[in-house]
Amino acid sequence: MEARGAETLRTYEEINEKIKRGDAVVMRADEFVEYAKRYGVEKAAKDVDVVTTGTFGAMCSSGAFINFGHTEPPIKMWRCWLNDVPAYKGLAAVDVYLGATAVSETRGIEYGGGHVIEDLVSGREVELRAEGWPTDCYPRQYVETVITLEEVNQAVLVNPRNAYQRYAAATNSTDRILYTYMGTLLPRYGNVMYSGSGELNPLTKDPGYETIGIGTRIFLGGGIGYVIGEGTQHNPKAGMGTLMVRGDLKQMNAKYLRGATIHRYGSTLYVGVGIPIPLINRRVAETAATPDEEIYTEILDYGVPSRSRPIVRRVSYAELKSGRVEVKGETVRASSMSSLPRALEIAETLKRRIEEGEFTLTRPAELLPTVREFKPLEVKRYEPRVKDVMTKRVISAKPADDVKTVARLIVEHGVDHIPIVRSDGRLVGIVTSWDLARALAEGKQTLSEVMTTKVIVAKPEEAVDVVARRLLQYKISGMPVVDEEYRVLGIVTTDDLAKLVKGRRGAP
Amino acid sequence: MKIKILYTHERVKHPVLSTVILKTGVPLNILEASISPSRGELVVDVPASGDQLKAVIEALKAEGVEVRELGPTIEVDEEKCVLCGACVSPCPTGAITLTMERLEIDEQLCIRCKACVIACPFKALSMASTSWEA
Repeated sequence: MEARGAETLRTYEEINEKIKRGDAVVMRADEFVEYAKRYGVEKAAKDVDVVTTGTFGAMCSSGAFINFGHTEPPIKMWRCWLNDVPAYKGLAAVDVYLGATAVSETRGIEYGGGHVIEDLVSGREVELRAEGWPTDCYPRQYVETVITLEEVNQAVLVNPRNAYQRYAAATNSTDRILYTYMGTLLPRYGNVMYSGSGELNPLTKDPGYETIGIGTRIFLGGGIGYVIGEGTQHNPKAGMGTLMVRGDLKQMNAKYLRGATIHRYGSTLYVGVGIPIPLINRRVAETAATPDEEIYTEILDYGVPSRSRPIVRRVSYAELKSGRVEVKGETVRASSMSSLPRALEIAETLKRRIEEGEFTLTRPAELLPTVREFKPLEVKRYEPRVKDVMTKRVISAKPADDVKTVARLIVEHGVDHIPIVRSDGRLVGIVTSWDLARALAEGKQTLSEVMTTKVIVAKPEEAVDVVARRLLQYKISGMPVVDEEYRVLGIVTTDDLAKLVKGRRGAP
Repeated sequence: MKIKILYTHERVKHPVLSTVILKTGVPLNILEASISPSRGELVVDVPASGDQLKAVIEALKAEGVEVRELGPTIEVDEEKCVLCGACVSPCPTGAITLTMERLEIDEQLCIRCKACVIACPFKALSMASTSWEA
């Protein structure tokens, strides 16, 4: 078998010669998919030199290095803000890194690093404020001024992770609306949100990374950029490769670089990335011809707040893009966090730039790795789980029990929550002291008349802080801890959590 | 058809909507309501057209309240909109459609819940509340 990246159909030099002569055949990925369907991959591979791709979506791991130049007298900035958004200052005197997700200290997530980058690219003035660390060589203590993109020495977008090959789609099994980085997720699998442009997605069109690597020239934010390596969390085995990219902010355009705020999540930057895929060999032509119908991702349940969210089902980008997806036997609406129209526009713009000879291709100095482990972070310190803090001795009752008897139980044992269980030990409801007070006042007889049947529960292995958040969310003071069969193992209350805090400080 | 109904303090205690519903047989649907001792404002969907709609509006006026037609409910700032779909599937009534060129909002289906306004990462959507303010 020929080596990865083998230029058996055409070489980079041959393609660039054709680009310079103005007779390179360039197609957008969606056009190439159609062409290959119609004439077969064999002919498509022969006829077409370059396939252009595009994506425009939220890419949180983005940011810019900026060098402001030196003031008179000079300052060694050790804390710095741009429009009140803190920039990273663990660098030399007037170099900063402004991250897309950093948030304004005055406006919160409504305005973040992504918005500052958009403002700079739009030519707007940005307020620079910095505190100095005065030294003999850098005497100044403080500076406050305004800057523009044009005035600074360098402003370079350097994004550690962009352009995911594909991304998992999201839905929500819980009974409340979730606001996630995948957008608004309606309760009870009410909708599906997805991201990525499917058959237009850069890495999806070259999943063997035969043409993409360090030094690949790309479309980035409207200007020219380069791939500088694999992105963080690059995960080829799962079909989730990523890119690290850089590009000169001064060439970019706010149409393809937009600050964004995702409700109750945070601020980020929408980045436009387009990559030309030269059809150097038959394999690349075949992957470039893959249609949406054959590009799959998973729909995950974001209702489970875990690193490994359960897979609800596998889905093709064709189905996602249709706007209707079947989930748990129901057809629900699906829509995208990233912009498909703009992805298409990027692929089209890149195509035109190549056709007009403005953009030539580069042979990567090193291809992206096809093997890379994607590891989780194991917490090696002790972290309490629900099973460690819950009260194991649970006073429970049966649905048919009478209200007065149970009221007596509450008084005798000094508890506030009584889980109601069936004879097989499974949870069917809960009553609190307040429910019983009301029951007595209203003359109700049995528990089944007054109990809450929709019980918020905890699982024994859950982290304590997740459960604390849930108590706050539902404004309750305790919840039964149940196993997979809904048998009650214990109860966890705000009292149990309070004890934990006390213990942590080492108090008696 | 969505309308806004303004109550003055004299009419605030009267069951205006119920009276109109009984009189016309049109099941009015309240989308927004803010009633204080001195005044009230309601946004109501009137599932009717033609003579029936006219009858509802006449009946409301007969009850002594002011009636105004509502303009477009949600305004899209096309400069800010990047044509993603963040607002589309979160809309509980399916009132929003994304085409390759624009975002289309079906006024008939919109219930003014603002789910789309919240979901937009670019603040491109806003509730057109000022267009019918006095």
